[in-house]
Amino acid sequence: MRGNEKTNNGLTIALSKGRMQDDALEIFGRAGIAVDEADLHSRRLLVKSADQRFNFIFVKPSDVPTYVEYGVADVGVCGLDVLMESRADVHEPLDLLIGRCSIAVAGRREVVGQDYNLLATVRVATKYPRIATAYFQERGIPIEVVTLSGSVELAPVLGLSDRIVDLVETGRTLKENGLEVIDIITESTARLIVNRASFHLKRAIVRDLVNELTKVL
Amino acid sequence: MTSITKIPAGVQYFFDDEVRLRRSIEQKAMKVFSGWSYDEIILPMFDYQELFARGMGEQKASHTYRFVDREGALLALRPELTSLVARTVATRFKTKPRPIRLSYSGEVFRYDDPAERAVREFHQIGIEHIGEPGIVADIEVLLVASEVLTTLGLRDFRIALSHVDFFNGVAAFLKLRKKERALLRSLIDRRNSHALADFLEQVAPQVEPDRRVGFCRLTQTAGKEDAIEHANQIIINDRSRAAVDHLARIYSTLTALGLRDNFDIDLGDTGSQKYYTGLVFKVFVPEWGVEIGSGGRYDELIGSFGMPEAAVGFSFSLDGIAGALAGSARPDASNSSPTAHQINCAADLATAFGDALEKRAEEKRVKISAR
Repeated sequence: MRGNEKTNNGLTIALSKGRMQDDALEIFGRAGIAVDEADLHSRRLLVKSADQRFNFIFVKPSDVPTYVEYGVADVGVCGLDVLMESRADVHEPLDLLIGRCSIAVAGRREVVGQDYNLLATVRVATKYPRIATAYFQERGIPIEVVTLSGSVELAPVLGLSDRIVDLVETGRTLKENGLEVIDIITESTARLIVNRASFHLKRAIVRDLVNELTKVL
Repeated sequence: MTSITKIPAGVQYFFDDEVRLRRSIEQKAMKVFSGWSYDEIILPMFDYQELFARGMGEQKASHTYRFVDREGALLALRPELTSLVARTVATRFKTKPRPIRLSYSGEVFRYDDPAERAVREFHQIGIEHIGEPGIVADIEVLLVASEVLTTLGLRDFRIALSHVDFFNGVAAFLKLRKKERALLRSLIDRRNSHALADFLEQVAPQVEPDRRVGFCRLTQTAGKEDAIEHANQIIINDRSRAAVDHLARIYSTLTALGLRDNFDIDLGDTGSQKYYTGLVFKVFVPEWGVEIGSGGRYDELIGSFGMPEAAVGFSFSLDGIAGALAGSARPDASNSSPTAHQINCAADLATAFGDALEKRAEEKRVKISAR
């Protein structure tokens, strides 16, 4: 829970490694916060912006809310899916409108349209145990969660689960595995999140960042 | 059977410098409290679950470690201290002259989702000022909090002030139902500007778009006098206006006292506890990533245990303060443990221990060695 006092003069920004990283850096670039290409291609996980005002750290997507909640990073960019699952206690002032996808319930084509038996337990494979549990519990449907860390679409095909709760972008992976979306839990886009203490202690720089980003969205 | 080396999740052990640091923080804080005429109260470790449910609300009070007494009544390890103080004042301090000023220091226990919070045992240090409504007591507790932080060397602290009636006034003005109210509170609390704008457009189409945008902006950023001025331009309901006026008076007093830099107005803070009725505040320091203290006015809580009575108070997290100070120098850690006089008891026991007693009579530190 240590604050990042050593970098007190700048702002530390946690970005999700991978696809969202490029889109996010592109938005930061439009807002005049540039990162040296050579630094990006190095394997360094901590990179300063060209004007030295910002420190970027590159972490696993699901770790972004943790870094920000504990104040190791002041600001972060992560998908709403990751944010909902983490239940991190942070501010989320901005929707960056990138990384658009849905968190959906899906199942084999044959079960689409079938009612849930309100008494029998539905077995759900997912990377999002909390989101899945909340969704089914709210509807009074008993659920058994099978937590997987990838290739969730395989679970119903192989009979490991009745349904899955997973991210859907184009729906192609689902289709190729004989699955269909049954219900959309929520649409997800990337959010700018802010640590609660940094929001007060670095008010001017956080406010300027949010304003600059808002202008270029 | 569980391995003897295994420890339960969330428990904490402290030793060496950590203990010295925590004790020194506690002593300094209690000394400040005593300087403002707050008397220490020692509270029970557990009480009826019902008491905490009444204080914090059913939902928060569900995160307690619970067990039953011999009659089968449900007990809980204390998840906070304010409810215990409130009940004590309502039942045992009926005839004491008001205001009553109490301070406390003690552990609280919360049974949280293991994945959400690592630590389930916290140490809180705080005060409660009971029996006096209004601005004088509000400013008094803010100054006490401020003195504690300064005394501890956390000079760059920031206390963000808000008032729950700012939100309550807006919710009443918009005639929100319970569920919408909870949603609005959460959108404001998380500074979710996008969703907040959509929500307002949906529930308050009658309000001019300019005013809606202004309201969003108001709850998005903390500020100084500018936040108060901005609020006065946007807000038209009386309840919220009265809340903002109250904050303005507190703020101008703090400014006159030279504390402007340490205080902010944050109308996006809707209050962390259900029982708050007026001023609310949160404390931050650059050395620590999360808030290290919070407080506020709760004029209705004591009434739920007897006669209604005004009250205001706050608590610091000792763990947060210790964490913030652990990174910096620890001037006290060395002072409190001066070099010990080595006393060797290998030869004559009476002579050696006699020597030790003599040194102890002079309050010197001794260390006995057998060889």
